[in-house]
Amino acid sequence: MEWPQVLLETMWRGGAVRFVLASCVFCASVCADGLVNEDVKRTLDLSSHLAKLTAEIQLANHGAARVSSLTLALEAELAPHLAFIGASVKGEEEEDESLELKETTLHGQSGKFFEAQLPSSLAPGAKLRVKVETVFSHMLKPFPTHITQAERQLVVFQGNHYLYSPYPTRSQTTRVRLTSKTVESYTKLGNPTKSEESIEYGPFKDVPPFSQDDMKIHYENNTPFLTISSVTRTIEVSHWGNIAVEETIDLRHTGAYLKGPFSRYDYQRQSDSGISSVKSFKTILPASAQDVYYRDEIGNISTSHLQVLDDSVEVEIRPRFPLFGGWKTHYIIGYNLPSYEYLYNLGDQYALKMRLVDHVYDDQVIDQLTVKLILPEGARNIHVDTPYPLTRSQDELHYTYLDTFGRPVLVATKNNLVEQHIQDVVVHYTFNKILMLQEPLLVVGAFYILFFTVIIYVRLDFSITKDPAAEVRMKVASITEQVLTLVNKRLGLYRHMDEVVNRYKQSRDTGALNSGRKALEAEHRTLTNDITALQARLKAEGSDLAEKVGEIQKVDSQLKDLVCRCCQEAERLVAGKVKKDTYIDSDKTLSGKRQELVSRIDSLLDAL
Amino acid sequence: TRSCLLCVKMTKLGFLRLSYEKQDTLLKLLILSMAAHPNTCLNELFLVGSYFNYRTTRFLTEEGFYKFHNWFDDRAWYPLGRIIGGTIYPGLMITSAALYHVLHFFHITIDIRNVCVFLAPLFSSFTAIVTYHFTKELKDAGAGLLAAAMIAVVPGYISRSVAGSYDNEGTILSQRYVVYSNAFKKASIGKVLEFVKYQIETYTLLFKSLVLFLYWLMLGKISPWTGRFYSLLDPSYAKNNIPIIASVSEHQPTTWSSYYFDLQLLVFMFPVGLYYCFNNLSDATIFIIMYGVTSMYFSAVMVRLMLVLAPVMCILSGIGVSQVLTTYMKNLDVSRPDKKSKKQQDSTYPIKNEVASGMILVMAFFLITYTFHSTWVTSEAYSSPSIVLSARGGDGSRIIFDDFREAYYWLRHNTPEDAKVMSWWDYGYQITAMANRTILVDNNTWNNTHISRVGQAMASTEEKAYEIMRELDVSYVLVIFGGLTGYSSDDINKFLWMVRIGGSTDTGRHIKEHDYYTPTGEFRVDREGSPVLLNCLMYKMCYYRFGQVYTEAKRPPGYDRVRNAEIGNKDFELDVLEEAYTTEHWLVRIYKVKDLDNRGLSRT
Repeated sequence: MEWPQVLLETMWRGGAVRFVLASCVFCASVCADGLVNEDVKRTLDLSSHLAKLTAEIQLANHGAARVSSLTLALEAELAPHLAFIGASVKGEEEEDESLELKETTLHGQSGKFFEAQLPSSLAPGAKLRVKVETVFSHMLKPFPTHITQAERQLVVFQGNHYLYSPYPTRSQTTRVRLTSKTVESYTKLGNPTKSEESIEYGPFKDVPPFSQDDMKIHYENNTPFLTISSVTRTIEVSHWGNIAVEETIDLRHTGAYLKGPFSRYDYQRQSDSGISSVKSFKTILPASAQDVYYRDEIGNISTSHLQVLDDSVEVEIRPRFPLFGGWKTHYIIGYNLPSYEYLYNLGDQYALKMRLVDHVYDDQVIDQLTVKLILPEGARNIHVDTPYPLTRSQDELHYTYLDTFGRPVLVATKNNLVEQHIQDVVVHYTFNKILMLQEPLLVVGAFYILFFTVIIYVRLDFSITKDPAAEVRMKVASITEQVLTLVNKRLGLYRHMDEVVNRYKQSRDTGALNSGRKALEAEHRTLTNDITALQARLKAEGSDLAEKVGEIQKVDSQLKDLVCRCCQEAERLVAGKVKKDTYIDSDKTLSGKRQELVSRIDSLLDAL
Repeated sequence: TRSCLLCVKMTKLGFLRLSYEKQDTLLKLLILSMAAHPNTCLNELFLVGSYFNYRTTRFLTEEGFYKFHNWFDDRAWYPLGRIIGGTIYPGLMITSAALYHVLHFFHITIDIRNVCVFLAPLFSSFTAIVTYHFTKELKDAGAGLLAAAMIAVVPGYISRSVAGSYDNEGTILSQRYVVYSNAFKKASIGKVLEFVKYQIETYTLLFKSLVLFLYWLMLGKISPWTGRFYSLLDPSYAKNNIPIIASVSEHQPTTWSSYYFDLQLLVFMFPVGLYYCFNNLSDATIFIIMYGVTSMYFSAVMVRLMLVLAPVMCILSGIGVSQVLTTYMKNLDVSRPDKKSKKQQDSTYPIKNEVASGMILVMAFFLITYTFHSTWVTSEAYSSPSIVLSARGGDGSRIIFDDFREAYYWLRHNTPEDAKVMSWWDYGYQITAMANRTILVDNNTWNNTHISRVGQAMASTEEKAYEIMRELDVSYVLVIFGGLTGYSSDDINKFLWMVRIGGSTDTGRHIKEHDYYTPTGEFRVDREGSPVLLNCLMYKMCYYRFGQVYTEAKRPPGYDRVRNAEIGNKDFELDVLEEAYTTEHWLVRIYKVKDLDNRGLSRT
């Protein structure tokens, strides 16, 4: 239905009617929107090893119908190098609203296309400011491809003078930012103005859709052409409060290859020798990173510095050797993070929010990323929210200390990433908290088994011959042990009796005293009998300890007499038969004697 | 002793009224567990041999036993290669691989590298325990405890058993002592049963273990080389006949200072122990006397045999110290210094108590200084991996020279996978293990002529050397150069050995040692030096562009800080080589061998 209208409109506008006609035939649906790029300001930043192209586009709806989506296009030559594309709408209150992009295809047009849904559809005649940000990697080709140590690095950029767009463009300018004044050559379409470190193209007026014109800039660029050819990021979550992160990185200098010798002398003497080489770079880790290590296959790398800042931890990574064009290295960096900053839970529901990829160096390029997320053993119902699409591989199982059925590992890969990809991934899973007890219980169990076997082993007798002497010794030892406890108990009885006597002196309750005395007598008798029995057994075993026990018994009977005397004295005192002074005197001598006897028993016991 | 005091206190308080036997066991356990506690935690490999063993162990764990058994290593001894499975003693590797697999079976995911690193400390703690049992068989438990405590810190043994030294030598001791103490146990039971029969068995066992022990000594270098064996018996043999044996620093005769450095107190207590053993002659003591004296002899022949001496020194000193202590402890009057002590004075031994306490104090002082000395020696001399050098800077800070690994890692990542690296054999194992590149000769010095060929290349002019290098298909040459940092065991200082070894075979007959000396017979690198030396490949590789470097203030450029001389040949260009890499402190220099030019006539 809209065909004739579009034709009419374009013809009415005049200009490159034929061209538009032709393109309209091929891409009817696009032109049908009636969108026009009123004013385009492109900034091409070539000051690093990346090509960052930012376009600020003023769009206008010249059609009759409302437009709810717009299409972004990329040249076929650039598309394979695209690392990142993002679009945002500039609001009236200077608030940027980013647009969600979906890749689409346009019939009959080469290149890559993205469709963006506008937040609110654009009425006919209305205008909209859109900012499109694209980052391309490996777009700057070193030329010459091989340089010596003393030479500077020259690179060539090949792109498009015009904005590649499915819509006609009214007016556009392009500003190219370079790193140095040295520019070997550049295409001179529209007589561009060149100042210190930049080139300005345009303005170009009334450019038809899908216009392409080769732009070529050959200039000096000595920024480090560092590329991470592959990185494997392993994140291991433990519910015991730790998240361990480890990155295995393959690094390569993708600038011009080093030709001829590498002279350490020149490198140390002249500051501009090997100017495009990489000596070191800074990696920024999260502020809570601890126990940072930096090593490789052959051990710890001693050349690194760690700086703890308020909001981050900065590691100055110095590879073992400076990286010249074509040289590569490999290293591992790892650290621990406290889990409370990244792991959230509501009952059994857990959510891990972490960076999918982290900073390695400024303006980083990652050719291939592999992320391995190791969740705790027993995590179920795993659901991942990624900020951008990744290729998920088959989940794996990981076994480490005290694991029984393995930890689930999520594996995902993605190619061609840049700084803009440092975004959070959220992993939801459920975990039964009871499982936390599994590991300590395992340890307890293992120790239990160990001790138990030792206990059993010690009790077993593996000897072929019997050793009667050793057996007797063991028997005697057990008997003396018993004697010891009994004698100690008996001594305790006397102490108890003392207390009874003291209480009696205050309360003058003869009944209590007598019952106490009776109890003492009875218990003493049984204990003494037991000891005598043990003594007999000792004698039967032929141990000379029996005599010592006999001696103890003798001393004890004296001791008991003394205790009884003590008791009687107290009775006499209470009855008033003796004076207090004499009682105190006799009590003193008695207790002295008792002390002596007790110490004799003690020394005998020690000798047992 | 602290635990002892604690125990006594607890007994007094009645908390723990243990029988004497139980107390004794507890004390023994405490002391032994302290002695057997491995005391290092670094995870780098230290010694040169360790790298090879580590590499083979990794191969074994990764590829399995049968592949290991049939392993033909094409990374070493290019173009000959080496049959590893058949020429090494796989006990060490199998032990660690088995340990690794057992641990992994229980999901204890420890790296094989860490298994290798910590195997030596593990076995050395076993050694402490076994030494206790062995010495107990010889004398008593007290001597055993002392010996165990001594062996736990003796530097002579720590040097080989520190974490990271992954070699047969460190682990073998404990196994050997198990054999010995079992033999003695058997002997004592044997006496009860059939004396004669067991006696014979014991002696054959002992004899076997002695033979085994000699055999194990050879293991350090694996090759069934009779030359080294001769050098044990006749120290001058090697020097006169086989330059390659004499060239190894570990094979030099031991100096007195290194005895004191490695053993300290033990040097003095060893004769005391011997005296005691002679006083109480029995089969066991005769054995230990023989063992001690022969190891003393062997250790005097070469430094590396210090390892054999150290444990037996510990045992004998343990016996000696324990004997001294028990003798005087008896005389110590521990009762309170009131009433009795005065009247019991012995008239023939006037100040008995004072002498005894003095003696014990002296002994305690010696033992304490021994501990401090051992700790100091271990931390100063044996705790840093030989691959990382360190020096004190002007302000007293520690400067680390990690140049070896820098160079090896560069080789690993920035040379073609099939590159062949020529270097002196000392660095062979390290290069194969760390750089993972093919090398011509390595520390397993089994092929004298091949090493000699490398020596010839190093000692020849560039022209001649190029022919040899083309013949051997060399793509990179690696040299160690200490002239900038003052690292004295570099290739220039080893150079005379290369000349000698290079000249020792037929193909190198034209290389004569005296050509490399000045007319007055000196080895000099300065202007006075022999022109043959100043134009040989080794000299050129070491000093390429060094003539422009200022190394010390007030010295001309090109001043060599090891030889303390300004180099004689300064401004030269290399024709057949090009500098491929030089490390930060110039310790390692790697050169690339240029290709033939298009016509195939000479180099580019």
